[in-house]
Amino acid sequence: MTDPHDDHEEYDKVENVHGVVPPPPREDHGLGPYGADEVHAHIGSYRMYFAVFMGLIVFTLLTVGVASIHLGRANLAVAVIIASVKAVLVCTFFMHLKDDNKFNSLILIAAVTFIGVFFALTLNDVAYREKLDTQSGNRVALESGDKAPGSWENPVKKEGEKKEGETPPTASGVPSAEKSPHPN
Amino acid sequence: MSEAEVADEHHDDHGEAHGDHPKWLQHHWDTPAQQFDAAKIGMWAFLGQELLFFSGLFVAYAIYRTWYGDAFAAGSHELNRTMGAANTCVLLFSSLTAALSVRSSQLGKKNETTMWIVLTIACAFIFLIVKYFEYTAKFHHGLLPGSAFGTPRDMLTFQPIPGAHSPAGELPDHTHVFFSLYFVMTGIHGIHVIIGIGVWAWILKRNLRGDFSKRYFTPVDVTALYWHLVDLVWIYLFPMMYLIDYVAPGHKG
Repeated sequence: MTDPHDDHEEYDKVENVHGVVPPPPREDHGLGPYGADEVHAHIGSYRMYFAVFMGLIVFTLLTVGVASIHLGRANLAVAVIIASVKAVLVCTFFMHLKDDNKFNSLILIAAVTFIGVFFALTLNDVAYREKLDTQSGNRVALESGDKAPGSWENPVKKEGEKKEGETPPTASGVPSAEKSPHPN
Repeated sequence: MSEAEVADEHHDDHGEAHGDHPKWLQHHWDTPAQQFDAAKIGMWAFLGQELLFFSGLFVAYAIYRTWYGDAFAAGSHELNRTMGAANTCVLLFSSLTAALSVRSSQLGKKNETTMWIVLTIACAFIFLIVKYFEYTAKFHHGLLPGSAFGTPRDMLTFQPIPGAHSPAGELPDHTHVFFSLYFVMTGIHGIHVIIGIGVWAWILKRNLRGDFSKRYFTPVDVTALYWHLVDLVWIYLFPMMYLIDYVAPGHKG
């Protein structure tokens, strides 16, 4: 049998996967047969866990309270910020990122970063679809009626028309393909 | 955990087949720490995927909310804020009990771990029961996704309820889009809760069997991580669904 750990001398000292020689007692460190390679998890106190829980409840009440204050579009931003504070509390303490391998935090941060990219590019695309594209010269402005593929018609501007999906929108002269970005 | 505690315990639960390789240490790992770290990294990679998966729905939500803001406000007012807030607290409490089940298992306190896991599962059921009553009310009012919008239906048979009143006609256009997102997002979240109950039940069984100790509590730890993610998603869903522009609706609520 070949030793798969030829390049891991430090492991060979403390374990013996082949059952040939029992591992030497490791009384010197008192950590068990794997010594420093035992799992060492940080154990939080009851007080910490309950404090975080109370914080989460307080922020929940806060977000309900703030929703009753009319802030216009800022309401959504405030709600997201409060939710993110709660999320950070959960990740840091309940999910142990504070005392954990930092690589786990990196995975979370990477995921959140790419969610940010996803939001930024998609919302940017949606916001500017109906504007003039100066680079290509294509008019995608709503007023011209000459739309680029995927351009979007603002439903707020056609209040008087029928609900989408009820009839083919022949009256407005909009090609039926325009309806495809909308859900049913 | 003190070093003495570990030393006291480390002979309790060994497998014998391969020297000191305990049963719970799989053969392809060199050490307990290596196995533990790999399991945690794997779980975090899965959770990162879960976040990206849910983010597609949140992006859809952001776009449609900017397009149909008044419809979203009107749809939100049809939801039961009290039930939503109560469910938020239930889920936050279950996150606490999940974290405490990990703590107990880290300390090797089997009975305490059992208690916290049972509490977590109980909270998950309470959450789903409240959700059932919410969904039933929406179905009976015809507040359904897509083309079903406006037709009151029975929750279980999905048959139309003759003579039942639906407020759908009084709501602004495109309110059905809000309810499409509401049912898809809370529905997928609910599926995660159901899966969580199944995983917790399995962990509970393993805990009762005595699989876990101070040296090996990884399954409890990663299951709790998954459960916290379910909580995280709800932390965002609650204000986005239930609390839109509460005091000054663009339309009647």
